[in-house]
Amino acid sequence: MDLPDYYEFCCRVKIVAGHNALEKIPVLLADKGSKKPLIITDKGVVGAGLIDIVSRVLQDRLAGTLIADNVPPDSDIRIVHQLAQLYRDSGCDAIVAVGGGSVMDTAKGVNIVVSENASDLMAFSGAGALKRPLKPLIAIPTTAGTGSEVTQVAVIKDHEKHLKMAFLSYFLLPDVSVLDPRMTMTMPPFVTAMTGMDALSHAMEAYYCLQKNPLSDAHALSAVNMIYRYLPIVADNPLDPNGRLAMSVGACLAGIAFSNSMTGIVHNLGHASGSVCGVPHGQAMAILLPYGLEYNMHKCEDTIVRLLLPMAGEAVYHDTVKEQRPQKVVSLIRQLNEDLHKMTDGRHARCFGELKDREQKPTVPREALPRIARAALLDGASMYNPEDTDYDDNLMVLEAAWEGHPLDRSKVKKG
Amino acid sequence: MGLVDVVRAGRKPFKRAYVAVFLWFTGRAIQAAAKVDEQVRREFDSLPDDFTFSLGVLPDGPWMLIGKDKGRVKYLGGNPGGRRIYIRLAMKNIETAFLILSFRESTALATARNRLITEGEVPHALAMIRVMDIVEVYLLPKMIARLAIKRYPSWTPGRKVFGRIGIYTRVLLGI
Amino acid sequence: MNPETVFTFTCPVKTNSGNKALENLPIELSGLNAGKPLIVTSIGKVGRNAIRTLTGAFGDSGMTLGVFDGLPDKVDPALIEQLRTTIIEGKYDSVISLGGGTIVDSAKILNLAVSLKTTDVRSLSAQTPVNRNLLPLVVVLTANATGLETSQQATLNGTVLSSEYLAPVLVVIDPRLTRGKEGKIIYATGLAALGRALEAHIGAGKNPFREAYSFAAIRFIRENLPAAVRNPDDKKTTLAVLNAAAMSGCAFSGTDASPLHKLGQVFQEVYNIHPGIIMGMCLPHILGDYLHQGGHDLSSLLQPLTGDDDFTQTPEDQRAGATVSVLNRFMADLYSVLGKDVPQTLKEPGVPRYVMEDILDVLDADPDGVYLRAVVGRIWDKTPVAEKKG
Repeated sequence: MDLPDYYEFCCRVKIVAGHNALEKIPVLLADKGSKKPLIITDKGVVGAGLIDIVSRVLQDRLAGTLIADNVPPDSDIRIVHQLAQLYRDSGCDAIVAVGGGSVMDTAKGVNIVVSENASDLMAFSGAGALKRPLKPLIAIPTTAGTGSEVTQVAVIKDHEKHLKMAFLSYFLLPDVSVLDPRMTMTMPPFVTAMTGMDALSHAMEAYYCLQKNPLSDAHALSAVNMIYRYLPIVADNPLDPNGRLAMSVGACLAGIAFSNSMTGIVHNLGHASGSVCGVPHGQAMAILLPYGLEYNMHKCEDTIVRLLLPMAGEAVYHDTVKEQRPQKVVSLIRQLNEDLHKMTDGRHARCFGELKDREQKPTVPREALPRIARAALLDGASMYNPEDTDYDDNLMVLEAAWEGHPLDRSKVKKG
Repeated sequence: MGLVDVVRAGRKPFKRAYVAVFLWFTGRAIQAAAKVDEQVRREFDSLPDDFTFSLGVLPDGPWMLIGKDKGRVKYLGGNPGGRRIYIRLAMKNIETAFLILSFRESTALATARNRLITEGEVPHALAMIRVMDIVEVYLLPKMIARLAIKRYPSWTPGRKVFGRIGIYTRVLLGI
Repeated sequence: MNPETVFTFTCPVKTNSGNKALENLPIELSGLNAGKPLIVTSIGKVGRNAIRTLTGAFGDSGMTLGVFDGLPDKVDPALIEQLRTTIIEGKYDSVISLGGGTIVDSAKILNLAVSLKTTDVRSLSAQTPVNRNLLPLVVVLTANATGLETSQQATLNGTVLSSEYLAPVLVVIDPRLTRGKEGKIIYATGLAALGRALEAHIGAGKNPFREAYSFAAIRFIRENLPAAVRNPDDKKTTLAVLNAAAMSGCAFSGTDASPLHKLGQVFQEVYNIHPGIIMGMCLPHILGDYLHQGGHDLSSLLQPLTGDDDFTQTPEDQRAGATVSVLNRFMADLYSVLGKDVPQTLKEPGVPRYVMEDILDVLDADPDGVYLRAVVGRIWDKTPVAEKKG
């Protein structure tokens, strides 16, 4: 286990996990002295019947619970201020966020406004603007992927001014994250597949990127172990409660790992393909993950090789000759994508070329690749990637990922 | 209150002086590189017309500023003088600044070790980091520059040698 | 992870470890809205140089610090009350403890007394409700840590107070302070870390979040303790051992039944001996018992205790046994490096009879008292490591 010359690690979130973990919420709120929480969620979560489960748990003990379900798929500063007003007007004293990444971001934004009594959220953007604990925030993720229930970041968009604001502070970490398999059981297989691959990409990138440290490593390895084992199980059988719980725990471990170790080229190109072509984040992660490992292999083969045992288990580890172990990691991820492709009747794409939108048009036309490669130069994830990336490097990786061919590693520029 | 010794934090004048000199040097070198190197010029061209970048040490300096002025890239000393700062790269303390400016930790590693605080928009910050990487290749011998950046570029000998001479001359003359 | 029960894990401590970690203290404090810390330590335990290194790290920050370097070996309620007054009157807004073990207990109790406005420190008990944020507490580790510094516990003369709010907000591990004068200091710190990490790793309520800390702690001890004990002046390996100590404290919170920890604590309380020394004596006996009894997941310890290759080469049904023999060999190696510097039985340092009686009295009050007494009886003069070797 490597000890870097210097590192920092922090995850203050209390994790409460298990079947019936939701039932702990009344006690958790009481611990924080809360009598009237505001539940922040979105229509999709309500439509899937998940809020019914949460409110049933809360109803007995907390009569005053308020539900706001108008979080849009993309966080919006207007909604943040609107919900903050609702929180104040109703005399709420805690926030319970139920949903995916956008709900978590919105809840964190609302928490800044109500805790700092801010009239303008903008004043708190960037790093280090928050200096004291905020109001109690309980996060209940409904996907097993983003890890935002354990990250110290919130991204809020101002759609009128075309601005994307990032907020970074340990005080944005939720007080508690509740992982209950009932919250992810209704996810259809293709969403399960891509959110699961998002989580796996968090764990793996966290393990090879520059900010890695012993604690992020330990979380990452454990996450890889759980996600690789249980993702095919729940994609195949969505109602497997133990599999669902394991995936939630795995995604949470991966979230802790990457929020302390950051991510690299996979996320860098993934963000860019999302902003240029609207590729769903998890789908981009699934496609790009093997390429991230290949691109960085010459710099971190000794690191990547250690992913094999937690992934594939002892038999495969033992039966693979030492020299081939790093490559085995890559090929197992390609195989996993292949399996998920089959389980989702082809909806889970293996390469950019076969990705289609709702009208069956290609999501990523080949001629868009140069634009994605350029957009990636504007994204911060490149900082933490072990090898340098420029426009040509990005394009080379994107072209291979579009075709679905392994990366020709002899063409990767080395310093 | 005899129970407790009250200690006022000391000063580190030598390290401060070293850091100040290096910030001055880096500032003038960036100004020079923007004239000498095509890639650096292109990076600055893509930035806003009143773009200002500041690099320095928390909590109270020293700082250096680089800004665009009527299309030209200029070293602006240590005082913002009312200019809007687009990117502020702050090193957390004087020891950290010393580690980075004596090239014992690369910008990428220092970032990965949480030694820098970046304020401003990410694309601007990345552009400035690319500029500083290029400047380091010009200023430093290959052996040291290799540690300071992720991938040593394969430039033509002409670009490196003439660029290096051009930048050193301009830094010393301040042009 | 047992899916049938709901588990909870929390580690409120941020870790800053490595080169120039101390110099980040001013910015860490200002991020917590604090700017005037009170440093509490014991000059006898940490030495003047360590205090100078710490205060020197604030250079150029413009901050004012208070330094109290006279903490005794035991938590002294009267002194805590005086320091409480100092904090309030001097308007200190944070506490930094420098050192390990009881120094941190004092700092935690002091923080509690300030934040809960307790004028009578003796009135604090296990029942005292601690359910809100206290002042920011930073622990700066030195070579003789015990691992409990990062835990959610504080011991006030035999009474254990426990709350997540008692944990420090930040642990700082700086290689300038982790080097020890003697191998036996690093040995004791390492064994305390190993003991607690082992108990966390196999204890009830096992979960992957806790295991991340215990796994990393055990690996670090295995990979670094022998070298650190041989050369206690080495920065890299001692830094790793102290990292393991900090991790073990994080993993340990929430572990209940823990004979190694309990025995270590009792001897520290009553006889003022580093708990790691006692845990080292007890470790082979207790793990041997576990192996004999079955029901403890010893096989899960083999991977952190060996490495990926050795682990996969050992057949599954032999892993528990392999764990015990690996540990016994590990202990035997450490003892052979240290020779007579570290006692392997209680008889060697000659613990007086009246002390032993006090210790046994305390153990009697424990639900596992009968077993703990039996272990104490065995470590009096038996060294299982030597027996096995022979």
